[in-house]
Order: sequence, then C-alpha cells, then structure tokens
Amino acid sequence: MASRVSPQPETHTIAAGVAPLRAGQGHSFLLRRLHSLSGIVPVGAFLVEHILVSNATAMNGPEAYANQVKFLASLPMVLFLEAFGIWLPILFHALYGFYIWYRGDGNTISYPWQGNWMYTLQRWTGLIAFAYIGWHVWHLRFAGIDLHAHPGASFGKVQSEFAVAWQLAFYVVGLLAASWHFAYGIWLFCAKWGITVGERARQRFLVVCMVIFFTISAVGLLSIRSFLTTPRQPADASAGELHAKPAPPTAPVDKK
Amino acid sequence: MADKTIQLKIKRQPNPEVAAYWEDFELPWRPNMNVISVLMELAMLAKTKDGKPTTPITYDSNCLEEVCGSCAMLINGKAHMACSALIDDLEQPIKLEPLSKFPIVRDLAVDRKVLFENLKRVKAWIPIDGTYDLGPGPRQSEAQQNEEYPYSRCISCTCCMEVCPQFNEDTGFVGAATIAQVLLFNLNPTGQMQAPERLRALMGDGGIHECGYAQNCVEICPKDIPLTKAIATVGRAVVGQAVKDLFTT
Repeated sequence: MASRVSPQPETHTIAAGVAPLRAGQGHSFLLRRLHSLSGIVPVGAFLVEHILVSNATAMNGPEAYANQVKFLASLPMVLFLEAFGIWLPILFHALYGFYIWYRGDGNTISYPWQGNWMYTLQRWTGLIAFAYIGWHVWHLRFAGIDLHAHPGASFGKVQSEFAVAWQLAFYVVGLLAASWHFAYGIWLFCAKWGITVGERARQRFLVVCMVIFFTISAVGLLSIRSFLTTPRQPADASAGELHAKPAPPTAPVDKK
Repeated sequence: MADKTIQLKIKRQPNPEVAAYWEDFELPWRPNMNVISVLMELAMLAKTKDGKPTTPITYDSNCLEEVCGSCAMLINGKAHMACSALIDDLEQPIKLEPLSKFPIVRDLAVDRKVLFENLKRVKAWIPIDGTYDLGPGPRQSEAQQNEEYPYSRCISCTCCMEVCPQFNEDTGFVGAATIAQVLLFNLNPTGQMQAPERLRALMGDGGIHECGYAQNCVEICPKDIPLTKAIATVGRAVVGQAVKDLFTT
C-alpha cells in the first residue's frame, strides 16, 4: 500500500512560517553580544571622553581646547588607537546595527507602547548618529587643515564649521541623537545582559540613563555655545604656532 | 434595545493557496457576548451582512476561559484571546484577522507548531522517566514556588511572539514564551540538572540574543507573565554559561 501513495506535499510543515530555534548552530550569539558590548566599550566610552572631557575644554577657551587636541594627538600610536579603538568599532556597531534593523519588523502603529517606541527610536537615532559621525569625522579629521599637526587651529576650525547654519544644526541633532542612542543603549545593555533583572530595577535604571542623556547633551550644548560666543579664532596653519608656546617638541605629523 | 447590532469585518481565507478577502457580518446585540460567542452565532447564521450565504468561520478555541491558549487572533488589529475579548469593550465594526506571523490554515485558524518545536529544542520538560522509581524530587521552599508559579501560567497562545518585532522569518527568533519556559524548568530543583543544555540551546541562531527589548511581549501577555524579567534572568544565565563554556570546553 505504502508504495502506491503518490508524493503528497506535507500538510503544513513549518517551512511557510518562522523557523524554530536552531540550537547549537551559527555565530549570531557572539555577533549580537559583541554588537551590544561594542556600543558600551569602546564606542560609548569614547563618546563620554569626547563630549564630557575633550569638548568640555572648549568652555575654558581656545588655548585649553588646543592643548587638549595637542594632548590627544601626542598619544602613542594615535592612528592605531583611532582605527581600532574608534573607527572600526563604530563601523562594526553601525553596520551590524543596520543588519539588525533590517531584520526586525517595527510595529509601533499596532502596538504603540513605550518600550516599542524606544525600540524604534534606538534605530533611528543610531542612523542619524552614524550619518552625522561619518560627516563630522570627514570634515574635522580629514578635510581641511590637519589638527594633529596644527592643534592651535582647532578652535577656529570648529568655529568655521558652526558658521554655516545647517552645519550647526547638524551638530546639535547629531549630538542629541548620539547621546540618546548611548544613554538608552546602556539601559538596553543592562537589560539584555541580565544586570537589571527586575521590573523595578529597570524602571529605576531608566531614570539613571535619562540623567546620563541630559548630562551628555547639556555638556555638549554648552561646549557648542562656547564656540559661538568666543570671537572667531584663526583656523589656518599660522594659528598652530600661536598657541604652541614652547615649539612642539615632537609633534606627530600624520601624513594623511 | 432590539435594534442594537454587532458589526464585524472578518478576514476569510478558505485555504493557504488562495488570496484572503473580507466579509462583513451583522447580528443582533445580546448582553455579555465575547468574540467566540459571536463566532458561534455566525456559524448558526451562515450569512454575510448582505444576506449572502457563506461558510461558517473557522477558528481555534477550546476552554472559553483564557486557559487553553488556542483562540488567539487579531482583534481590531491587536493580538488578543477571542474568549476574553468582550464585545462591549470593542470598537465596531470589530475586525477579526488571523495571527499574522504563523502559517494560515483557514480563516482565523493558524498553525502555531513553531512554539512546540521551540519548546522541544530547549527541552522544556523535566525528565523523570527511568527504569526504576526515582522517588520524590527535592522539597521546594514557598519563596521558590512563588518565583516559579508565574511562568507556569503560560498558555502557549503565542501572543508574545505575534507582537514581537524580532519574531519573523528573517530572524527566526525563538520568542518570549520559550525563554520563560527555560526559566521555569531551570528554576525547578530537578529540572536544574538540564539547565546548561537549555541555556546552550538558546545560544543558537534565533536564540535569546535576537531579543530587541521592545517589551511588547510583557504588555500583551494575557496571563501577566513577567516575560521581560524572564528574558533578563535567562540572558544573564546564558552569558554565564557561554563564559563558563569558553574556559571549560
């Protein structure tokens, strides 16, 4: 009898739906955890340094700012630090993040709940921050005068950026997007890695993360204000000598 | 009162191969109706709003008291148990659709086999079979029982999976229900013996890491299971297991 049964399509195999868990298969666990971790260290740690330490020196005037740039440029193996501590981690975090976004199906229209909105917002702020960061790095690090060679021109170079209205607006939007993405990212990290396990613990920690968001945003905005309220500083090579009182002993010159 | 009616729009699909279409229905209002009792009335009526004869609507249901988990469907666009969806609480016309993330069987009935497959893959049970009487399991404290109990309330309705932005064919995410069952069986003193196996299963593709923490699962769960707590707790245990395995295997 069995041999006479013609090959029939199986009635409702799972093929036409979401596949079941592939236990023991693939590397997505490692990649997702690396993505999550890279947002905190090194990318998040760099954001904190960049906004709360380096940028904040602008509030102490052009000289303090130039000295901070000089200090950063004088770090050993600065190009290596930039590439493996900042650029590649950001690139991995962003590109894998887009892949995650692409595979998710946002449904805030049907289910407009707070956590669901945050889920969507985390994706959009990530996109805005990444677009901004790409433009910002190109403009300040690579285009125009090399600030590693001429740290004295740093303050003036930023001022010339802010002189264009849409660029200033982009800086503000980029700052807010990045600090939101980071602050809520800390909250997500702690929830996903099981640091804040309980419901109330997560609610309390959300307050902490909002304080982090407002702190980074406020310091960033105050730094921007310093550039706008200080008279225009020179942004050419001559400014480099202006601030470097003792001539730079071993100014590392990156030929980029 | 006699004129009061219930208006419905129901998505019909005789089989998976043909396109779905909408049919409008109307029936007289009675007090205390729910979506399932309306569907029963419609089966008796077997007529659309314009009086055209039609087939009874196919749907899953069993217990009618939100315990069996079979009657989940999209009611006015949201996943809900049909038996506990009271007509008087719903905006009319009431829109009924099948769950969108599971293969359609017919009309409002879908195939939710993936959940049972997932439960099998994480070994969501306690192995007590043997060739001899294993005797009673360890005694559990009341505090321990209270911790476990909420997770044992899961009715496998799959609402948490339906509303999850990460549960789809691209990710093949396991979904909150299965993760909560891993916690339930890992909390059990006897079930604990298989805890590493369950945690390792969740490291596979589609595992716990696909969670995007949109938290829709915990909002929609008809049994109020603390699903986000389960995901965070199991998430910690999975990372712990991964680190342990990194150094010991």
